[in-house]
Amino acid sequence: MELFLEIKKLNKAFSGIRAVLDFDLSVNKGDLIGIIGPNGAGKTTLFNMITSFIRADSGEILFKGENITYLKPFQIVNRGISRTFQLVDLFKEMTVLETIMIPCFSKRVRNYKHREEKPRIIAMKVLEEMGMSHRYHELIKNLAFGELRLVDVARAMITEPDILLLDEPFSGLDIEGAGVLSKVIQQMHQKGETMVIIEHRLRDLMKLVGRVVVINFGQKIAEGAPDEIIKNEKVITAYLGKGKE
Amino acid sequence: MSVFSAFVLLAPVAISNQYYREVLFLCHYYVILACSWDLLSGYTGNISFGHAFFIGGAGYTGALLNLYLGWGPWVTLPMGGLVAALSGLLVGSFTLRLRGPYFAAVTFCFACMLYKWTMIGWKVFGGEEGLSGIDGIMKTTLGNYFFSAILMLVVIFFLYFLSRSSFGLILRSIGENETVSQGSGINTTFYKIVAFVLSGFIAGVAGVMYGHVQMHVGPEMAHDSLSVLALIMAVVGGMGSIIGPVIGGYLLTIINESLRFMGEFRLLIYSIAVIAVVFFAPKGLLDIIMRAFHHVMGQKR
Repeated sequence: MELFLEIKKLNKAFSGIRAVLDFDLSVNKGDLIGIIGPNGAGKTTLFNMITSFIRADSGEILFKGENITYLKPFQIVNRGISRTFQLVDLFKEMTVLETIMIPCFSKRVRNYKHREEKPRIIAMKVLEEMGMSHRYHELIKNLAFGELRLVDVARAMITEPDILLLDEPFSGLDIEGAGVLSKVIQQMHQKGETMVIIEHRLRDLMKLVGRVVVINFGQKIAEGAPDEIIKNEKVITAYLGKGKE
Repeated sequence: MSVFSAFVLLAPVAISNQYYREVLFLCHYYVILACSWDLLSGYTGNISFGHAFFIGGAGYTGALLNLYLGWGPWVTLPMGGLVAALSGLLVGSFTLRLRGPYFAAVTFCFACMLYKWTMIGWKVFGGEEGLSGIDGIMKTTLGNYFFSAILMLVVIFFLYFLSRSSFGLILRSIGENETVSQGSGINTTFYKIVAFVLSGFIAGVAGVMYGHVQMHVGPEMAHDSLSVLALIMAVVGGMGSIIGPVIGGYLLTIINESLRFMGEFRLLIYSIAVIAVVFFAPKGLLDIIMRAFHHVMGQKR
């Protein structure tokens, strides 16, 4: 098992309020990990620190052995870690195709994609894989919410990241939309994609992932297989309430 | 674009009046300023109030090189542009992390600093009277018209094709959502600085041109009102479009000159006209024109 991402004793506080406390996590190549926790537990803060949109107060983030803790966000992407955003707010006045073309101009894509492949062609291929090629000309602001989620995933995928971080990808989707996205995630994983998914919709998440990490008040309180997590007393108390979903 | 170019180049055939040709020269000058401002602010969404820093800085540079070193306009034009480009690099570097009113305030301060320097260093810059006796570019008003027209068309074509390139697309993504742009692997800092440098260079060349044609540069070229004018022209015409500032530049220059007979009421009427245009066309006149065009062609936007 190749160790891709290693997070060691990561800490972050906002105005004295602890958001992430001594957080450790290891992600191996091919893992599909879910991160769950109550609102405000620190899940998105964790993603923001991995992708350098927020600076960690202390701790280390190692990616393939390299310390990436204090790199800039675009450098993280070009190293091979890509993400979607919890609040899907893309480029409203740009078309779907234009939006997907933006990451094609990143150093990562320019380096590994052969120069004869034009960004437009790369972008259309990815849209076809996501089943969104028929909407390539549509403005982002005119898309349905489920389509926005798919476009955001496509935008993150196009750099062919080593690790894909999905922040609440099922949020706001109906059953059909969730089914489509679930299928896409499974297909990506079958192709060998390593993914870490933050999600509140446990029913959708537990069916997908092999390992679950539970965060509460910025600390990891449990880690294990989905069926173990569901039975974990700490998790039930902190997040699931008295019953289980 | 071809039709517009033909119109611009053939206009002197129909317009022989010297005053009107001078007004059109001003139109070309302001269009270049508005377009260069739009490249920086219209696309990235960071509204600059410091464009006069580039215009005045380059204008004075060109004038000083001409008066003290005897360099002709064909040298001072690129040199002034280069100085303005370096100024753009300086301002861009200082304002990288700033957004919204903070960005606007710092850019404003750069222009104010330059204006004050022209006063404080009056021995060099001529104070309120500025510098006169600068060599002209062309010998006739018609010559100046064509020079400014060709420069304007070169700038418009360059910016038009730039805006439709990957560079333009990336700038738009930065203006729309810089976070997502960074999260897509784009070094947004690099592109913003390039926008500053290009914008500064173009505005600087226009400033040097203006100084040579007028054979005079003065502190009004570094005054914040010039920054605001470039902004207003781009906004009225339609930001983030290159074509919009062309419309705004021509329209507002012609309105301004047309109102000369109103004396002290000129500025008042001009301001009311600007407010009216922005009220009825908040996205700029280009948006109205395009909507009307699509309506006539029976297409949905």
